Amino acid sequence: MQRLAEAAPAMASHASAEPGWFTRHRRLLGDAATLVLLALVLFPFIWLVQMSFRPNRDIFGYDLLFTPTLVHYRSLWTGAFSASFVNSTITSVASTALALLIGVPAAYALSRGNFRSSRRIALWILATRMAPPIAFTIPFFLAYRFLGLLDTHVGLILIYLTFNLALVIWMMQPFFDGVPRELEEAAWIDGCGVWQAFRVVTLPLASPGLAATAVICFILSWNDFFYALILTRTNASTAPVAIVNFIQYTGWEWGRIAAAGTLVMLPVVVFAMLVRNYLIRGLAAGGSKE
Amino acid sequence: MAAAESDWNERRRRSFLLGLIPALAVLAAITVAPAIYLVLTSLTPLNLTLPETAWDFSEPQINYVELWEDPRFVHSVVVQVKLSAGTVALQLLAGLGFALLLDRATPIRRFARAGFLVPMVLPPIVVGILWRVMFTVDVSPMHRFMDWLGWPVRSILTDPTLALPAIVAVETWEWFPFTMLMVLASLQMIPQSPVEAARIDGASDWQVFRYITFPFIRQTLVVAGLFRLIDSIKAFPLIYVLTDGGPGDVTEVTNYYAYRQAFQFSLWGYGSAIATLLVAGIFLISWIIDRMTGRVHAEAG
Repeated sequence: MQRLAEAAPAMASHASAEPGWFTRHRRLLGDAATLVLLALVLFPFIWLVQMSFRPNRDIFGYDLLFTPTLVHYRSLWTGAFSASFVNSTITSVASTALALLIGVPAAYALSRGNFRSSRRIALWILATRMAPPIAFTIPFFLAYRFLGLLDTHVGLILIYLTFNLALVIWMMQPFFDGVPRELEEAAWIDGCGVWQAFRVVTLPLASPGLAATAVICFILSWNDFFYALILTRTNASTAPVAIVNFIQYTGWEWGRIAAAGTLVMLPVVVFAMLVRNYLIRGLAAGGSKE
Repeated sequence: MAAAESDWNERRRRSFLLGLIPALAVLAAITVAPAIYLVLTSLTPLNLTLPETAWDFSEPQINYVELWEDPRFVHSVVVQVKLSAGTVALQLLAGLGFALLLDRATPIRRFARAGFLVPMVLPPIVVGILWRVMFTVDVSPMHRFMDWLGWPVRSILTDPTLALPAIVAVETWEWFPFTMLMVLASLQMIPQSPVEAARIDGASDWQVFRYITFPFIRQTLVVAGLFRLIDSIKAFPLIYVLTDGGPGDVTEVTNYYAYRQAFQFSLWGYGSAIATLLVAGIFLISWIIDRMTGRVHAEAG
């Protein structure tokens, strides 16, 4: 009887202080689960990267110790692939720059101007973001055929504006909303014109947003496959299309395909990590509007 | 003084318009003009091999009537519905699960938040190639692993019953980070005091999720789902690299069928009609999004 009375409080304190192994190690278990899931999710990605460094005789091997080789990369460098890489860079950079040049002033004007049709313009931009690419490609293809813009850089740069321009306006507007108006007003009193005050005062303050927007435009243009597949043939074909082309020519040469895939995704992954906090605003334009 | 101020306001207004107009003009030229051209083309039997079909409006409804009776089109819509329903549901589930796991900010989980973004930002064509490696029997480590387990799997992409589920799985892999990010952002805005109060009252994890967390993020899930729904209608590169719409036509979604009609069969009028219907469907969903985000805004304000 006495022993039981002694045991009871001990049990009670045990139950409250030590809620079981599982609950106690929740944080550890969660971290472990996170790492396992991360490894599983990224496995196909890591597999392609390691494949690109394997010599051909051992291309499907899975031993961790192998002598990496750059032979696949070297063969890409000497082949037609490097030209497509240049094309990708030209079209992505030019389209991003053009979209910023036209879109940034518009975003600022929408942020400050109190236009009655602001809401309608916002809807129009959302509709542009939503429209399926096939709806643009058919008329653009027919028009380009007539204008001689098929398989040119200009043609691609223009069609990339369909998504980049809408994106710039949508992304930049909240950044400008976040810059206090008092600063510009002070500049106006000092005799600055509207656009001078914008350039000297507002734009520098919104520059992190500007950088993020530029990077997301670049990623979207760089990643495009559908427009480039249809509107280019050889001269202006971008890297994603070049990969598909050489698959069609030479079949599935896994080493080279892995190397090409790695090269194409490398800049995007690096850039995306830089702007990861802004990604959702860019990709969900309209879903997170203020 | 008042006159000077209103003069300045007028000048300011004009300056703003000057900044806005180039963008609107370009946007109109590259979106409205093509849209009109698309709809007009859809009213003609345009076939680039027959030049006289270009502006032939004698039977404007013909493409739409044909679509109605085209079993391959109807089939493509069915495939589209299956693909979209499957992948959106899975993306929401996976995105929600990962977001709940990553919500707690330990150093490892903060690092993983960045790592999980990778699938979403990869060029879609590379996603296709990654999974082509995974699905090609003599190449894939996945198939080798299944063999080793004594449970060999036949080629998935050429199997009519498995090809579409495979596309759904890859699409989910590629896009669950989107839902994850949106839900994560929303989770971090949940006020902590009701959660703590509920815990003191002895609520279980499930009860906290069911009665506090879930109502708070429900709207985000709906919006994320609608976004993913719209993007799933545009699925192209994955299908192009993995199955080319096959085997047969089991993975031929509507978007892919429109591409075939226009760019492979040169039936531009017919392809335009399909594209027009796609645009109409997508705008309907966008309108719903706009209504819903408007409501979020109203609730928050």
